[in-house]
Amino acid sequence: MKALFSKVSLFGIVCALFLAACVMPAANSGQAPASNAAQPAAAPSVINVYTDGDTNISDWFANIVKPAFEKKYPQYSVNFVTVRGVGEGTKTIADRALAAMKTNSDPQAEVLDFDALGYPEMIDAGLWQKLDETNVPNAKDVVKAARTTEFSMAYRGSQVLIAYDSTKVPENEVPKTFADLIKWIKAHPGQFAYCRPDKGGSGGNFVDRAIYEVTGKDPTIFKAGPVDPALISKFDDAWALLRDIHPAIYDNGSYPAGNNPSLQLLANGSVSMISAWSDQSMQALSKGVLPDTIKLYQFTDLPMPGGYAPLSVPKNAKNMQGALDFVNFMLSQEMQISVLKDIGGFPAVEWTTLPKDLQSQFTSVITDKVPTWPGGAWSAARDKGWYENVATNMKQGE
Amino acid sequence: MPCPYGSSSTLYPMTTQSISRTASRLRQTYSALLGYLMVLPPLLVMVFLIFLPALQAVVRTLFVKAQGATVPTLSLVNYTAFFGNSIARSNLWFTIWITLVTVAVLFVICFPLAIYLRFSSSWIANAVQMLSLFPLFVPGIILAFALIRFIGPHGTVDTILQLIGINRFSTPYLKPAGIIIGLVWEGIPFTVLVLTAGLRQVDNALIESARDVGASQWRVFRSILLPLVQRPAMIVFCLNIIGTFGAFTLPYLLGPAAPQMMGVYMQQTYGGYQDRTGAETQAVITFLFSAIVGILYVRTVTKQRAERR
Repeated sequence: MKALFSKVSLFGIVCALFLAACVMPAANSGQAPASNAAQPAAAPSVINVYTDGDTNISDWFANIVKPAFEKKYPQYSVNFVTVRGVGEGTKTIADRALAAMKTNSDPQAEVLDFDALGYPEMIDAGLWQKLDETNVPNAKDVVKAARTTEFSMAYRGSQVLIAYDSTKVPENEVPKTFADLIKWIKAHPGQFAYCRPDKGGSGGNFVDRAIYEVTGKDPTIFKAGPVDPALISKFDDAWALLRDIHPAIYDNGSYPAGNNPSLQLLANGSVSMISAWSDQSMQALSKGVLPDTIKLYQFTDLPMPGGYAPLSVPKNAKNMQGALDFVNFMLSQEMQISVLKDIGGFPAVEWTTLPKDLQSQFTSVITDKVPTWPGGAWSAARDKGWYENVATNMKQGE
Repeated sequence: MPCPYGSSSTLYPMTTQSISRTASRLRQTYSALLGYLMVLPPLLVMVFLIFLPALQAVVRTLFVKAQGATVPTLSLVNYTAFFGNSIARSNLWFTIWITLVTVAVLFVICFPLAIYLRFSSSWIANAVQMLSLFPLFVPGIILAFALIRFIGPHGTVDTILQLIGINRFSTPYLKPAGIIIGLVWEGIPFTVLVLTAGLRQVDNALIESARDVGASQWRVFRSILLPLVQRPAMIVFCLNIIGTFGAFTLPYLLGPAAPQMMGVYMQQTYGGYQDRTGAETQAVITFLFSAIVGILYVRTVTKQRAERR
């Protein structure tokens, strides 16, 4: 009996020790803001920045944006986190911030590479900080088309284009419209590839363009928020179209698992045409990863979608001033030039605010027509439909 | 467990018997406390990060809120939906098939290798041993991209074959064979390590005495090595099956868009389709399959412990 008692009490002591260990860091963190407020210059306050962008974007954030920002604002230190392929990417971090808001705790997130527009329920819940000229002065330069919601701030743009090998595809054969491309693919089996729509936007926006093709080429009918069942039912025509070219896709219908694997197939000559992101292919061309015989073009009828990538700031961000300063910094001329030069993206600010020589140098990518796919539930429906109807010919429930 | 106070009683030779009894009880209590303390962190991690979420997943997938109902009721609807979906079914069969083939190929490659490493002590054997461990130090994603360059279209293998006049190479990249090649490469170090360790436990005297009475190499293998290496082989088999079944990175980058292995399918259902319940159901099914093999593993290991006692 005594032995049992001592064992139980030992276990109790162990548990108490463990609990104490758990509570201690929490107590410390509670005191942290007070000491920070007293000595603002002592330790830089942390800004947690999250992205789920592809490697070119996360590398850029880590190696160029972070050092440049910390140099200009020594009072801050950026904790940059890549959540690509982790859960649902920055959506998961947004979910976490929402949960933190309900429990009144620190979301440990200041800036998210996330478009608030795709998830109206989060806007309704009051998660996002309004971003405009009053708290982000540089917002005055941002192009009007990029300001799709007041809860996110666009900082760069890009678009999906067709990249082709000019040594294999003569100038006069280059398809000018989506319908021409479909004809070209069928006439040249095995020479075209696009990646799986959920694994990379270059494939996703190609599929979006196929959906536009069968729904009257009007991107404006796809509105952010819940999906429209009547429109979703028309997706079947897009599946028929894509299933039709399936046997003529690279290696009898093999779809690479991402934007980079697609570029790789083009670079090593396995295919002569792919759908690709403008920024990724321009960066690859400037680095020599893609030979300069690779050319880019966009459809003349309706371009493939792309869009502006925005930053969002949760209202409960602990370091709100830091978050706003960071967003403002991203819209500065220095960073907008970096968007162009370092990642081959479109600036989010008006071209006229940038140096003249840059404007003429990049005329080929200057565009005002970038259809935007609403994402969110629309993408979920698109990916599911594509896997069930295009990647395989098995139907759900059979 | 070593006790740092082990020699304390000898320092005080004049103590009475009762005091020494108390001391030994204290020592026992101390070592018990130390034992609990050491076991506690991993136990808590297991309970809170593995068992509890797994249990929650099982419960959540089994209790479904019917339309209009306020309280969830026990229902197999999530599971009938999974097995009623031909894509889900084909992904599950595909995963089982890839797993079995991968483990079979691993045995075919690693068993002879382990036997060679057991009986040879030449410098070549040492080099082979090092080489077989090399994949252990290569992260999965690096391996995937290296393999794309090696076995992919216009890759190293393709180029070499073309040089010697074979130009009908069909790349395994984005095909089931691509996954198997990647997973086999990744599984070699562990398999060789455990099998070689198992073979090293076989007493040399046993083998020599068998040879002395005229047993052939084959006989030594069949009657001595094979029965004695059964347990490590079982361990390798179980752990490889569990590891392969849940593989993600290599099937993601090297495999086809359809069918997919369960790891990729789960990620896609959760992240792409935003269907949490569906992904959770797939996870529970994957977990159940692994648990069956896991029970086999635990039985093998506990039997070994019981015999050693």
